[in-house]
Amino acid sequence: MKVLFYGRLAEAIGPELEMGATPGCSVASVRDSLIASHPEIESMLRKRRALTFIGGQLVRDDHLLTGDDTLEFLPPVSGG
Amino acid sequence: MSIVARLEQGALRPDEELAALVEQVSGDGAIVSFVGLARAQSTSGAGIDMLVLDHHPSLTQKSVEEIAVAAEQRFEVSHVRVVHRCGEVLAGQPIVFAGAASRHRRAAFEAADYLMDRLKTEAVFWKREIGDDGSNWIEPTDADYADRERWS
Repeated sequence: MKVLFYGRLAEAIGPELEMGATPGCSVASVRDSLIASHPEIESMLRKRRALTFIGGQLVRDDHLLTGDDTLEFLPPVSGG
Repeated sequence: MSIVARLEQGALRPDEELAALVEQVSGDGAIVSFVGLARAQSTSGAGIDMLVLDHHPSLTQKSVEEIAVAAEQRFEVSHVRVVHRCGEVLAGQPIVFAGAASRHRRAAFEAADYLMDRLKTEAVFWKREIGDDGSNWIEPTDADYADRERWS
């Protein structure tokens, strides 16, 4: 599974990661795995205004993933 | 009626955007426009050389469009024009043009105000200030969020 990052998340760990997430796992579990391997981004991923998208659609933590999904983690936006 | 919502990779020319808006208007009595500039000082007073606006390949454009459409629907305006820079913007250079045209002035003033309050908090950008203090990510202030809440 491809995972994309933006803003200060991308600065911290790079714009893209390939993860071996199991199809059917939740967005929350992917986030927990990321935090386990990259604890420096925990505060950014857990911010109230951080967002998660799949295919251009906002998804919640309990959304279940398929193997083909590209998951995007957006830190809180700066605005214009 | 028209809505323009555009991301600009190169230089933003507010004079050209205003001229385009004037050109579109026929019969209306008012145009209000706002131009945002990259500040030369941070909130701490440190000098800033440039702003860098990172954007998302699809969600940024979508967010700017949604805000422009919402302004057109909320106020009695005939034209809305939003042009927003992305990438590197030197201090003093324009970041955003937000304009609206209406039959009478009040709607255009309110639409421009609304556009900026929403853009400042909801447009999908991640901004860094580059200057005397190095590179620093910036987020909306409490005042920005309070301004946005005025329209809820």
